[in-house]
Amino acid sequence: MVVAVSAAAGTITMLVGAVLLRLSTTGTYERYVRVGMGTWITIAGALVIALGAITLVRALRRPSVDGGMIDHDHDHDDHHEDGVGVGWLLLAPIAALLLVAPPTLGSFGVGRGATVDVRQGAPVFHPIRRTGTPVDMSLLEFGQRAFDHRGLSFNGAIVRLTGFVAAGGKGAFQLARYQIACCAADAIPVVVKVVGTAGSAPSRDVWVTVTGSYRGTNGELPVLAATSVMEIPAPEDPYE
Amino acid sequence: MAPVVGDEVTASAGRRDENVERGGRDGAWGQRGLLVVLAVVAAAAALRPLLDHLLDHPAVAHWATIFVAIAIQALPFLVLGIGISAAIAAFVPAGLLPRALPRRPTLAVPVAAVAGAALPGCECGSVPIARRLIGNGVTPAAALTFLLSAPAINPVVLVATAVAFPRNPEMVLARLLASLLAATAVGLVWTRIGRAEWLGRLRREHRHEGTRFTVFTSTAQHDFLQAGGFLIIGAATAATLQTAVPRSVLDAVSGTGLVSVLMLAALAVILAICSEADAFIAASLTQFSLTARLAFMVVGPMVDVKLIALQAGTFGGRFAVRFAPLTFTVAVASSIVVGWWLL
Repeated sequence: MVVAVSAAAGTITMLVGAVLLRLSTTGTYERYVRVGMGTWITIAGALVIALGAITLVRALRRPSVDGGMIDHDHDHDDHHEDGVGVGWLLLAPIAALLLVAPPTLGSFGVGRGATVDVRQGAPVFHPIRRTGTPVDMSLLEFGQRAFDHRGLSFNGAIVRLTGFVAAGGKGAFQLARYQIACCAADAIPVVVKVVGTAGSAPSRDVWVTVTGSYRGTNGELPVLAATSVMEIPAPEDPYE
Repeated sequence: MAPVVGDEVTASAGRRDENVERGGRDGAWGQRGLLVVLAVVAAAAALRPLLDHLLDHPAVAHWATIFVAIAIQALPFLVLGIGISAAIAAFVPAGLLPRALPRRPTLAVPVAAVAGAALPGCECGSVPIARRLIGNGVTPAAALTFLLSAPAINPVVLVATAVAFPRNPEMVLARLLASLLAATAVGLVWTRIGRAEWLGRLRREHRHEGTRFTVFTSTAQHDFLQAGGFLIIGAATAATLQTAVPRSVLDAVSGTGLVSVLMLAALAVILAICSEADAFIAASLTQFSLTARLAFMVVGPMVDVKLIALQAGTFGGRFAVRFAPLTFTVAVASSIVVGWWLL
């Protein structure tokens, strides 16, 4: 019987673990999965590195095993002699992620799938107390307040929303931000229509902070009348 | 599980690999493989400007983000599943687990379906565990039932469903019942029609020997590369479909009726969303009936492109081409029955 030990298997495994640790320590993982996953990615990365290291040490300490590890009784097996087989495919994301990390989801996905339906399941809100300073709010809360008793709970308050520009027009644009439950594969955008901007809208996928007040709804989109639009760098946690 | 000597079952994929790799039998593969790893990483570094340039295209960037997201999301769960699986291989004496189940398969299957509630996590982790259950002697039908029910009915998933459907708490019950029904029905059908040779890949598996620690690490190492590789195939497929299928397909068949149920069931296969997250997607598909959305949540954890890849890699292609259509049909049928009854 055979123990699949090879330096290649150990190295690939360690590389996977290294990529996981790198994603979690740099915070880049927040582009792909929800923030709470960070700890689990760190733990998984550490375990995978340990596993790969054990395999690598075992392979290097017994270099002669390489020949002997070929299982001649099972030579139709689909594992290569290095015991890696389909595991070679893991190199593709490793190579890509060590060099360039794909960006956060952008405007490409807005309007391609479902949009968060802010009219469903919204809680009933208490009115915002007016203090004069802008209230930071998620796009989801803005939408839900808009459709709760026709936006009465805004109470005329000034709110501040942060998102990226999904589509632009003259004097108005769509501000969007994704909700994710587990990872970017299940992302659904929340969209707010911003009106009252002078001149042309910021270009697509630019992150902005918009200050303004609630101005009714337009179909299924809540509308914000902006008093200021400020371009900002993409936030560390791009999803709501 | 005794490895079969002179195995007659050869997957076509295995044959192809064998032809490619025959030249490598001189024993230096381990070291040569190491060089290949380094060469791939170096080549990727050299091609970095090309990668940057590709990511300038919104569609490519979208694809890459979803591909990476599915892989990163699944890996911790895969590691958990592989850890449990390797622990069974190393520490649980062969034949112990079957004795915990009723001996008659027709009783063992429903017990296994309910036992699925005990494993919190996504569907990726349950594939290596089901494989090890069969290795320990559990009847395949019961192990496959566990494979189907665990990601669908565990408490984390049911809570997520309740959160996603605040106005329709009956969806939680409907999901639980429809998933249990589907998993049990597939298991019972498998006791009738299932053949051992369809699980060819399992029978050709190496059994690792040595100290318990060696067994544990060797099994985990082997499983990790196997499952990880197929996870990459599945993630790439799902990302491609998510990027390529336009919204108009969805809009074309909204509403009610059987077509919409089949539509969302097919969408669940294509999207390959983690079972802990699919309820939120289902909740957002408001133009569809509740029954159609139930089918989305029952089918998704049982059949999707990522799971089909994982199952083909774990149990063999001959298994996957039978198991996936069977499961899809049964899951849709039980969603319709439970939806008609409860929703």
